[in-house]
Amino acid sequence: MARARAKARRKSGLDPVTLAVLHKRFDAVTTKMANTLLRTGRSGVLNLARDFSTSVVTRECELLTGAESLPIHHLSGADLMARSMMEMHPRLKRGDAYLHNSPYHGCSHPADHTILVPVIDGRGAHRFTVWVKAHQADCGCSQPTTYMGHARDVYEEGALIFPPTKVQENYEDNEDFINFCRMRIRVPEQWYGDYLAMIGAARIGEREVLAMGEEYGWETLHAFSREWFDYSEKLMIAAIRKLPSGRATARSAHDPVPGTPEEGIPITARVEIDGAKATIEVDLRDNPDAMPCGLNLSEACARTGAMIGVFNSIDDVVPTNAGSFRRVKVHIREGSVAGGGKHPTSMSVATTNLADRVTNPVQRAFSKIQDGIGLAECGPIFPASMGVISGFDPRNEGEPFVNHLFLMVTGGAGAGKTDAWLTILHAGNAGMCFVDSVELDELHFPIYIKTRRLVPDTEGAGRTTGAPSGYCEYGPVGGGDLEVVYVSDGAINAAKGTRGGLNGAVCKNYLMRADGTLEDLPACADIILKPGENVASYCTGGGGYGPPHERPADKVREDVEEKWITKERAWEVYGVALDARGRVDGARTERRRKKLRKEQAAGAR
Amino acid sequence: MRFAVDTGGTFTDLVLEDGRGRLRMFKAPTTPQDPVEGILAAVEAAADALATTSADLLARGELFIHGTTRATNAIVTGETARTAFLTTKGHPDILVLREGGRLEPFNFLVPFPKPYVPRALTFEVPERVGADGSVYEPLDEAGVLAVIEELREKKAEAVAVSLLWSTVNPAHEIGVGKLLEKHLPGVPFTLSHVLNPILREYRRASSACIDASLKPLMSRYVGGLQERLKKAGFGGRLLMLTSKGGVMDAAELAAAPIHSVGSGPSMAPIAGRHFSRADARAATAIVADTGGTTYDVSLVRRGEIPMTPETWLGQRYRGHILGFPSVDVKSIGAGGGSIAWVDEGGLLHVGPQSAGAAPGPACYGRGGTRPTLTDASLALGHIDPDYFLGGAMTLSLEEARKAVAEGVAEPLGLALQEAASAILRLATENMVGAIEEITIHQGIDPRGAVLIGGGGAAGLNSVAIARRLGCRSLVIPEVGAALSAAGAMMSDLHADHRSMFFTATDRFDFRGANAALRKLGERCRAFIRGPGKGAVESAVEFYVEARYKHQIWEIDLPLPVSRFGSKKDVARVRAAFDQAHEEVFAFRDPSSEVEFVGWRAVARCRLRKRRFGRLGGEEARGTKLPGRRRAFFEGRGEVNARVLAFDAMKPGGAARGPAIVESPFTTVVIDPGARAERTRTGSLLITL
Repeated sequence: MARARAKARRKSGLDPVTLAVLHKRFDAVTTKMANTLLRTGRSGVLNLARDFSTSVVTRECELLTGAESLPIHHLSGADLMARSMMEMHPRLKRGDAYLHNSPYHGCSHPADHTILVPVIDGRGAHRFTVWVKAHQADCGCSQPTTYMGHARDVYEEGALIFPPTKVQENYEDNEDFINFCRMRIRVPEQWYGDYLAMIGAARIGEREVLAMGEEYGWETLHAFSREWFDYSEKLMIAAIRKLPSGRATARSAHDPVPGTPEEGIPITARVEIDGAKATIEVDLRDNPDAMPCGLNLSEACARTGAMIGVFNSIDDVVPTNAGSFRRVKVHIREGSVAGGGKHPTSMSVATTNLADRVTNPVQRAFSKIQDGIGLAECGPIFPASMGVISGFDPRNEGEPFVNHLFLMVTGGAGAGKTDAWLTILHAGNAGMCFVDSVELDELHFPIYIKTRRLVPDTEGAGRTTGAPSGYCEYGPVGGGDLEVVYVSDGAINAAKGTRGGLNGAVCKNYLMRADGTLEDLPACADIILKPGENVASYCTGGGGYGPPHERPADKVREDVEEKWITKERAWEVYGVALDARGRVDGARTERRRKKLRKEQAAGAR
Repeated sequence: MRFAVDTGGTFTDLVLEDGRGRLRMFKAPTTPQDPVEGILAAVEAAADALATTSADLLARGELFIHGTTRATNAIVTGETARTAFLTTKGHPDILVLREGGRLEPFNFLVPFPKPYVPRALTFEVPERVGADGSVYEPLDEAGVLAVIEELREKKAEAVAVSLLWSTVNPAHEIGVGKLLEKHLPGVPFTLSHVLNPILREYRRASSACIDASLKPLMSRYVGGLQERLKKAGFGGRLLMLTSKGGVMDAAELAAAPIHSVGSGPSMAPIAGRHFSRADARAATAIVADTGGTTYDVSLVRRGEIPMTPETWLGQRYRGHILGFPSVDVKSIGAGGGSIAWVDEGGLLHVGPQSAGAAPGPACYGRGGTRPTLTDASLALGHIDPDYFLGGAMTLSLEEARKAVAEGVAEPLGLALQEAASAILRLATENMVGAIEEITIHQGIDPRGAVLIGGGGAAGLNSVAIARRLGCRSLVIPEVGAALSAAGAMMSDLHADHRSMFFTATDRFDFRGANAALRKLGERCRAFIRGPGKGAVESAVEFYVEARYKHQIWEIDLPLPVSRFGSKKDVARVRAAFDQAHEEVFAFRDPSSEVEFVGWRAVARCRLRKRRFGRLGGEEARGTKLPGRRRAFFEGRGEVNARVLAFDAMKPGGAARGPAIVESPFTTVVIDPGARAERTRTGSLLITL
């Protein structure tokens, strides 16, 4: 078997070492583009939070790499975007660059400006496409946010939509385009700085791939792509065959916002693992029609949302590219809220809220097929602790500012074998973004962050635990007002636990008046804080995995010692008794756990 | 006489420089339980070789420069002090939340990292300072006393205090410090604004906590070393290496022991810089130190030792950040002991796992069965099984071949030598990848650079690495096997001071910037007058951390001026910034203002007048006669390669590849087409 494989590979011309080398080189291109963007970006969402991705696709528009990218940005979509660029611009030339943010043509959502640069060889042949996708601090929406949850359609949303649009020719900017954006995007200097950073990063990627073409020859690089896909597919087959065959259905629901039915948006995902065929299918067809709000999923986000759930549940050594994707099928119904919407349906918030409501039931369905795989649900997002803030900086001659805060979001889900990754942010992000520094936020914006702390007893209890909820409190300083916009899910529908694990805590958002009184804020809000007022926001926790009374007693003891949970919760929920010195009382614990097991069995009947 | 001792994981290296500038190199096994024992054993070995006594040798010592992994190891093994973290009220989870970020998005087997100081030992101090330095909430002393009471109850052995914006207004941290001194006497503490006045609370807090946690241990270690050296006859000055590539007085290091973390690898670039100048006259040098398990690389450009603002203990995002700039050395899991393996998809990997010292490569015959880089080199005939470490150890060719056959050749359907060669190529590729990260990824072309190969295993594939990168030449110094200790011998006494002061090109605050620079300059000059007294030469260098408006990551820019006299000076600095930005990131933005965030001054005191000398005592070593040996070379197959003795090669004499150059410390493989010659400094200079 091994010999046959080796023989087959030699026949195609690439030895195993060259394969490994080129893989590293392509990854390096991706990382280099990312590094450039992080270090040179101007908006906080880019340089503080690292909300961007970089990658390379083949001339056939197949995803080749995506090292260190945000999952929701790149699993599906790069292919669709590159294809639409080629369809709309059949003659690609060296020096071209295209801006693409149209969710109707393969982009995730309008805030994710994507620069695509076709890599053209010396003879004018298109070889690869490099792309850089970055969440913008502003994209011209009708309100100062990039998340227009309540927008009836793209017109009310107001974001500038660029189907693949040529923004550079012969490495020179199209000044009309720049002037146009300067008129319609808030804080235009910041936008332009980010644009320069994105172009710079994409050009560095282009330069690198051109150099590789010189060094290895283009045919070798194309042969590499084919073999790398085959190799990845092989690993995917092996990973799928490690799982039991089976099927499961799981449901999740987004909280209601204006434009949705009162019960919110229910999402159903059916997962089928077929070991014989070595495929995984995710069926999203059983979902409601697109709605007059900004939460509808773009096709890219619906597919990616499902695929994240899949890749979260299999062996992590499988590279994510067009090769391994051959073994995953995602079914979408035309017209559905889950990826079937058409223009002018608004998809303003497509990367986060509802996309997570697709990922979460998929990974939970895996856990239903077999204990130890998949995950519970990650916490739903966009509490006010992650709002978009804007206003005029009184410390700086009233200079306008707008930025997306990443102050406090936890949300990690209990996994088959480990406790939550605390700062997962949300399912589609996988914890890849950074969390803001309090000092940097206070330096750059006229805000005061009074409190940022994790809250005990809010974790999704389980054998492995979901993340606890986090609390933060902030408001304006310097005498000006502060506008805060957010679209929050998870106040009603908590992150579900799985296999007996408990739900994570729900989110809560309040307006804190100057005298300290709290007023409830709605799920979707655009508020203006006056001096002395604050926003107080609790983010959601993640769901737990497995019954809490199966969590090793010593871990529970450590949870208490580390103040993640109280002694009372250890007893009530985990069935662990601690003595006065904080040590596990074995006998009492056993009695309590016996009782909890019985209760659970009775509940199951 | 000067001593430079580097305590490594396996060996303690000693480089000795006598009054005439002649060098000697000695090794003794490291003794982890009591590292001083290993140090004294190395001195003993030197005394034996020089036919004298340790006491006599030490009595002649003027400087004793010491590098140790003690601090790093203590952190890795969890032997640091029980440390408490005092933070601003409302912000207890700074060390838990960190700055976010994650590697491998689909890997749910790696748990979220634990905070450096547990939450149970984290305490909130009632106070708050704002971004402009104004006091939002005054320090509540009664509240601090209550915290101190708890510290006593919980038996804290060290305390770190890091309050928000203490960099702008340190009054509250100072207040807490005074109370700690008074009410918790004898418990060492670290104030963040004193140790590391930088923006970003996680980094500053992490610095303070790591530093405090090392204080009890490192003061004991340094105190003990000082005392035992004195007892053994040493009456000179004890200096310790820092992660910034310099040395500090031992007592000063004990007071800020974080500077010792990661100090080991920081010396290689210092030595590398020297040899690149002396042997190759190259502006850009890639310095590589190949050990058994790690491959440390750094880049020296235009004679500048590279610094990084981000130093992680362990993996990025998964470990802890030091919060200090340090010599930028990238370490990857690759070395003589790296294991080669084939995965389920049929792809060959080398490392990052290592056979380590136990069981070691299969050829050590100590129970290792998986093939390593060393096994591959042995199977190819590059290493002589009977002359490893000068014959101190005999290797098993049979075990090496068996491991390569079973682990790689059979699964991939390759012949044995092809498989061994593939291992070498892939190891080379991994090492090249590490070098590319510090060169190409930073926009620096490695072509035309010189590669400096240090470390015992450097010779196995350094020619291949240099070729793959398109380097101009490769230098293997004769003291290469103890590159760090050699670097220590060359290093300067230094002090580094920073201060935060914000201004920008469009509203440049001359008075403020000049005041910051003046203060930094004064502190540096005080250092030069104090610890630096008697130095051969001293200098103060100024740097500014600058960025385009709205960027948040700064570039550390050497300042072409030490004072801003006029707008012209601002324009000069701005031009230098534009240039640096373009060099690193491929574009400049002349339309944007430039912001200046932090200022830094470095005092350097040169401790040596003399040139770095030659290794003496060659004549005393038993030199093996040159000969020939069957060895396999990629693209050439098995040939009858020349084997030469390193120390028998005379300056000017050259050897053409395929050839192998051997010394008791290392084996250098000269691939076909390459040419090796001995230089006046004793190094092997290989042109490709």
